[in-house]
Amino acid sequence: MTVTAATFEQRRRRVGLLFVLPALLVLAAVLGYPIVDSIMLALQRVTLTGGAIQQSWVGFDNFQRLFADATFQRAALNTAYFSAMEVVLVVLISLGVAVLLNHPMGRFGVFRILLIVPWAIAPVANAVLWKWILHANYGVLNGILKGLGLIDHYHVWLGTPVSALNFLLLVDVWKSVPFVALLILAGLQRVPSILYRAAYMDGAGPVQSFLHVTLPTIRSVIAIAVVLQTIWSLRVFDIVFVLTRGGPADATALLNFLAYRVTFNFLDLGYGSAIANVIFAITMLLAILYVWLLWPRPAGAKR
Amino acid sequence: MSTRMSRRTLLQGTTAAGAVASLPRFMTGPAFADTAKLSVFSPLPPDPAPPGAAKFSEDAFAQWKAAKGAEVEYEMLAWPQLHDRMATAFASGSAPWDIVYMCGWVPELQSNIIPYADALPKALVDDLPQSSFSTVTVDGKRYGAVFTLSLLTLFYNKAMLDQAGFKAPPKDWDELKRCAKELTHDGNYGFVLNYGDPAGIGGTASYWMTYLQQAGGKMYGEDGLPVFKGDAGVDALQLMVDLMPFTDPGSISYAGINDATNVLLAGRAGMMMNWPFMWNAGSDPKQSKIVGNLASAILPAGPAGSASIDGTDAWTITKSSKNPDKARELVEFYLDAEVQKRQVLDTGWLPIRLSVLADPEVQAKAPNAAVVLEQAKHPYDSFVTADYNEVTVAVGTEVQKALQGQKTAAQAIADAQDQVTAIVKRRKS
Repeated sequence: MTVTAATFEQRRRRVGLLFVLPALLVLAAVLGYPIVDSIMLALQRVTLTGGAIQQSWVGFDNFQRLFADATFQRAALNTAYFSAMEVVLVVLISLGVAVLLNHPMGRFGVFRILLIVPWAIAPVANAVLWKWILHANYGVLNGILKGLGLIDHYHVWLGTPVSALNFLLLVDVWKSVPFVALLILAGLQRVPSILYRAAYMDGAGPVQSFLHVTLPTIRSVIAIAVVLQTIWSLRVFDIVFVLTRGGPADATALLNFLAYRVTFNFLDLGYGSAIANVIFAITMLLAILYVWLLWPRPAGAKR
Repeated sequence: MSTRMSRRTLLQGTTAAGAVASLPRFMTGPAFADTAKLSVFSPLPPDPAPPGAAKFSEDAFAQWKAAKGAEVEYEMLAWPQLHDRMATAFASGSAPWDIVYMCGWVPELQSNIIPYADALPKALVDDLPQSSFSTVTVDGKRYGAVFTLSLLTLFYNKAMLDQAGFKAPPKDWDELKRCAKELTHDGNYGFVLNYGDPAGIGGTASYWMTYLQQAGGKMYGEDGLPVFKGDAGVDALQLMVDLMPFTDPGSISYAGINDATNVLLAGRAGMMMNWPFMWNAGSDPKQSKIVGNLASAILPAGPAGSASIDGTDAWTITKSSKNPDKARELVEFYLDAEVQKRQVLDTGWLPIRLSVLADPEVQAKAPNAAVVLEQAKHPYDSFVTADYNEVTVAVGTEVQKALQGQKTAAQAIADAQDQVTAIVKRRKS
């Protein structure tokens, strides 16, 4: 048997792996351990007794409980509605904003700075700001609408299930639009101007150019925006906690808020982890989709 | 003379610094007398907070620290965040405090605190209402000391009631409904409360528990299972539903008591249930538009008489405390008669010591103290259990559904009992 020396490429890969190893270990500790531990917790009944956590294995009982839990089902429906509407609204509004910013008249830096403000505000500060805007007695929104004569009495915007959920949606859309608008703007600026000139030569108007040149060219950017926004909408917590605490009558309880409430307020760590794992599974699937969309492909290949 | 920093000198310097840093503290630190460091987890004012956290008895506090050789650090959070922060810290085994504030959470977190209250001086214990220990006692052991007499009573705008022809506050449920109806006109409402948060003491469920006791009902039977699905439970909720047309509609969105308090102090509502702290706020022109018109009375009686709930604000000592004796001494300082007196005079939170409550100066500054003492002659069970948060979220959510007309009172109470039964059985299983 002859022992062949490692090729330069093999040695290069081995050294590369050695350099990457510390980062992989850190990732495993910071991300991998909590994920695995959370999955293990979801398979146990966890109680806080005797000054220590008592754990006992219950198999998939916590996941079975999800199917019989009306609050979980309500939160899942709320989350589905919230996410779907948020993605549609954020992407459509962001596309409109990006197109305006890409127009020669919209290219002043000040517009982009103003756009970024809602995104830059700290999440809890943003929620507190909206709490005062929407307050039933002293809210700015009621004041403006009454001042304009559009309403004759103050409304309780967070007082009914439908209104409360949709106002939370509005608040989160307001916060999310800037980033997605900038993402799409970057995509718009990569559309070769020669395509517009060619469309013009072929007799296409502005609407036809937008539909047949702009949209197809930024399709992958929009797809990424859709996936990212869906992931972010599943993580909404701060506005629910500050504005409604999930009420009235669980009308604004979203899955992430419910996971928090069950885990830290009820101290039902096992069941809370089961809810969190459902969110994690959905997010993971979306993340895989996101990676697939971004994966480099040979020129001309379709996604 | 100029020196040039080379890699060699930099390496030598850092090595020397590292060596010094690794030496034991007694070899490097300045010489201090042995001081005990105490960490206290407390609510942020205006919720009930101790000296040094709230502005009262600051000189006495400084003297106590000097005399005892103690350093006291406060970690303060807004009241709604206290439970979750504490529960998380205990669950992770990293609670850094010696003393923690509790509000109905003693049965739930009992395994993390010590039953120190029996070691308090007899003179002090004798000066506290014995009933104040009920919410901090588990299996016969006293885990805490309540530091403020905090029962819900009725607060009302005297001028509004006068204008509506009511010379006295409502005495019973019928008068309450009639009064609320008469006060509701021109954008003003007869009643206001914070129904936005279902959970905890001061949440929607706890208001219903108040009416439940007034109706002669109770939450749990001898076996620990819920027994409120009867006439008393339904009548209590029906009263809340009947009051809704005369209740500030924003109430369903107010998550905290301060939101509702502001409405009453702005003169936009005539009555509310509230804690004793409201007296100071209502007497402060910076916070109140109804100075001189705020009055207090015991809660209107239901079929079984008046009843309330207990705020249960207590100090407890953690198992992880390295200085439990010094921590107990600090609690004794918080309960010192003079500190208790300044507590009510400067912050509005009533003392718990009977001798201080009887003090003429205290009664002059806080005339509502007499009302609270009168209220204390009636039942005021807060029904705290190990799963209090989960129970109150379940009950409070059903109450909210009835208040919004999604369910009848009877249906909501029946559903609430089913949910609470499941919660209790799960805990016991």
